[in-house]
Amino acid sequence: MKRHGIFLDGVMIICIACFGLAAGLSAAEEAYPSRPIQIIVPFPPGGVADLVARPFATALEKDLKQPVVVVNKTGAGGAVGMQTAAVAKPDGYTLMVALSSISVMPEVDILFNRPPTYKLEDFAPIALLTADPTILAVRKETPWKTVAEFVADAKRRPNEIKYSSSGVYGTMHVAMELFTHAAGIQLRHIPTAGGGPALTALLGGHVDCSSIGPNVAIPQVKAGALRVLACWGDKRLAALPDIPTLKELGYKDVEFYIWSGFFAPRATAPAAIKILREATRKAVNTPEFKTAMEKMETPIAYLDADDFQKFWDKDAKRLIEGVRNIGKVQ
Amino acid sequence: MGDTFHHLLLGFSTALTATNLFYGFVGCFIGTIVGVLPGVGPLAGISMLLPTTFGLDTTSAIILLAGIYYGAMYGGSTTSILMRIPGEAASVVTCIDGYAMAQKGRAGPALAIAAIGSYIAGTLSVVGLMFLAPPLARFALRFGPPEYVSLLVLGLIVLGYMTGGSVIKNLAMIILGLLFGMIGIDQMTGYFRFSYGIVALGDGIGIVPVAVGLFGIAEILATAGQSDRPEVMKPRFRDLIPSRQEFKESWWPIGRGTVLGFLIGIIPGSAHIISTFVSYAVERRISKHPEKFGKGAVEGVAGPESANNAASCGALVPMLALGVPTGGIPAVLLASLMVHGINPGPLFIKEQPVVFWGLVASMYVGNVILLLLNLPLVGLFVNFLRIPYRILYPTILMFCVVGVYAVNSSFVDVGIMSVMGVLGYVLRKFEFETAPVVLGVVLAPIIEVSFRQSLAMSDGRYSIFVQRPVSVIFLASAVAMILLALKPLIWKKSGFRDQLTEAEKSG
Repeated sequence: MKRHGIFLDGVMIICIACFGLAAGLSAAEEAYPSRPIQIIVPFPPGGVADLVARPFATALEKDLKQPVVVVNKTGAGGAVGMQTAAVAKPDGYTLMVALSSISVMPEVDILFNRPPTYKLEDFAPIALLTADPTILAVRKETPWKTVAEFVADAKRRPNEIKYSSSGVYGTMHVAMELFTHAAGIQLRHIPTAGGGPALTALLGGHVDCSSIGPNVAIPQVKAGALRVLACWGDKRLAALPDIPTLKELGYKDVEFYIWSGFFAPRATAPAAIKILREATRKAVNTPEFKTAMEKMETPIAYLDADDFQKFWDKDAKRLIEGVRNIGKVQ
Repeated sequence: MGDTFHHLLLGFSTALTATNLFYGFVGCFIGTIVGVLPGVGPLAGISMLLPTTFGLDTTSAIILLAGIYYGAMYGGSTTSILMRIPGEAASVVTCIDGYAMAQKGRAGPALAIAAIGSYIAGTLSVVGLMFLAPPLARFALRFGPPEYVSLLVLGLIVLGYMTGGSVIKNLAMIILGLLFGMIGIDQMTGYFRFSYGIVALGDGIGIVPVAVGLFGIAEILATAGQSDRPEVMKPRFRDLIPSRQEFKESWWPIGRGTVLGFLIGIIPGSAHIISTFVSYAVERRISKHPEKFGKGAVEGVAGPESANNAASCGALVPMLALGVPTGGIPAVLLASLMVHGINPGPLFIKEQPVVFWGLVASMYVGNVILLLLNLPLVGLFVNFLRIPYRILYPTILMFCVVGVYAVNSSFVDVGIMSVMGVLGYVLRKFEFETAPVVLGVVLAPIIEVSFRQSLAMSDGRYSIFVQRPVSVIFLASAVAMILLALKPLIWKKSGFRDQLTEAEKSG
């Protein structure tokens, strides 16, 4: 046993020494960027953030002339990756692509009286990349053809109509709550383990409706399994031009986007951020990135840092109020 | 039928092109390695290779990734059998009887039966996928939260047959696993449970660190802690081929494992590992010599290994037929299709016959490739056992640490693995069986969430469990099994457990 222990101790020491060496080497100062850049994606591979980040990273590489690597750091609905990015060294080599749920989580932490895993102020926005509004999808067996019918039915039998979501305080939950709060109706919320299970629950008839992302819903709509009543956007969706927005129907300020944005830690040098902004502007206009987004039917909604900050503040305000209205789920 | 054959010919013409054969081979090869390496499972492997497929043609991309997926199910049994270290989470059950067989000098036959069983299960389930995908997928959708609860209640009762020995000890292990499974964000209300402020525990402690820790690290610690040095095994070539008796004993378990695995795999949200546990329990219950299990029963390898290959194919059914992912891996496969501009939905099979049938044909081909890869390698792998332990085990330890870290770039996972390793060592010393703990960790989130979702759906009424036909069937079966177990009390005849204890005493 003792021999074994010493051997392991030796391995440990060597490993620690290697880490120390690597950390020391990375402290050199040169023109930015002079090393590979890491983009943290707080969501699992294959998700929206991941599928936007990867082509984006490839496009960035061309301008920055350095490898741009996407690292998935999942956990706690994205909180793990976001926290990692928030406390990362602000040298411009650790960046993040995150979704609109970034605005929700600190508020949820406050609601539960826990120390927040990160704060919105920890991040400097670089650019908005995509912004898909969610859509209201109902099973084809349900009788509602318009939002008005849906709302009327919901008012007649409060807490009877069920909807699925990807998790408490997740995108599908907050989006639906914004709507129900504005419409003054009560629906029954069935949280599931994620976007996939939420869609499965809807398709299987275990719930009646859901607020889901358009590229997941559209194939099902084409096949006739689902019907779409409205969308949570500012303007009608290009893919579904007949579907009204909730804004048109009179529900003011009920907008929800599954947007993806590019962030850096707040303390990152302004010079580095300027370079990144410029590179991003070029990247989203490359034909490769455009084709990639088109293939995924995710329209590019590029906004540069200042416009993005305004958009983010407005969106965050909406979402935070939505979370406060939800309160603690009983 | 004629239609299907036409399509299949189209598929083979796509799959057998040089490019797709190459990618299929690469996928199977990487999948085998991913399966053999402890910790790194197919999800990690597919995720790491996903970006490289962006530039490939759609069919080639999905053939490559699918190859990794079912290839890993072949490779996972290797370290499980040779060293009692699960190559990936679903291979935990194979550790039990597979390693026992290896200790009796039957490592070669165990590996061979695992490969053959995997091949048969893989091929048969592709046939099932081919003919029955759309209706099966629609059936799978009818599994809602109440059905999950009933199914898992039935499963837990079946699993009571899994292990011999003291009932109390086994119950304690399952409950320990269930408790571990409670760690994480409560899905229904958003509370962080038992996370002690560590954000990374928000999603629970993860099946991979638990499996690798409880089996792998514990095994290393236990072997290192032995006072006398274990003999290095020197297998002979003759010993590599399964005996006729072993073949005979394996056919039915392979068949049963295939059917069970396929059906369980179709259900959205079920983990492959559940199919292996159920297969093991069923084999043990049905066997005429249940006392053999745990000591090197080939049924305990054939059944579960077939089950997990069939489950991996079954998991693709809802994804391909309806565009609905059943879990993490099908979700990534879906994403790879989306990136190429194909949005899988119910019309996928109709609108993209080249991709779908190309994939189906490549799965037939892939299973053959994997069989040819794995069988000759049996001899190579078995020779690993000749390496002196003092070189082999630290290397394995390194692979475990790197593998577990690689899954989520998380040191917390490595920490969990270490804690589980120590726990597993302690449990072994006190002669507790550790497999039920792994099962508990997998089941706890599913059962609890499904139960609460069901009650949310019914607004608190428990009658929802008996109002839905599928749920009623499972519950009735569960009640029937409980009555069967109670038979000895009522009829004063010896039941399963008594016969088992008698056989163990005399055996």
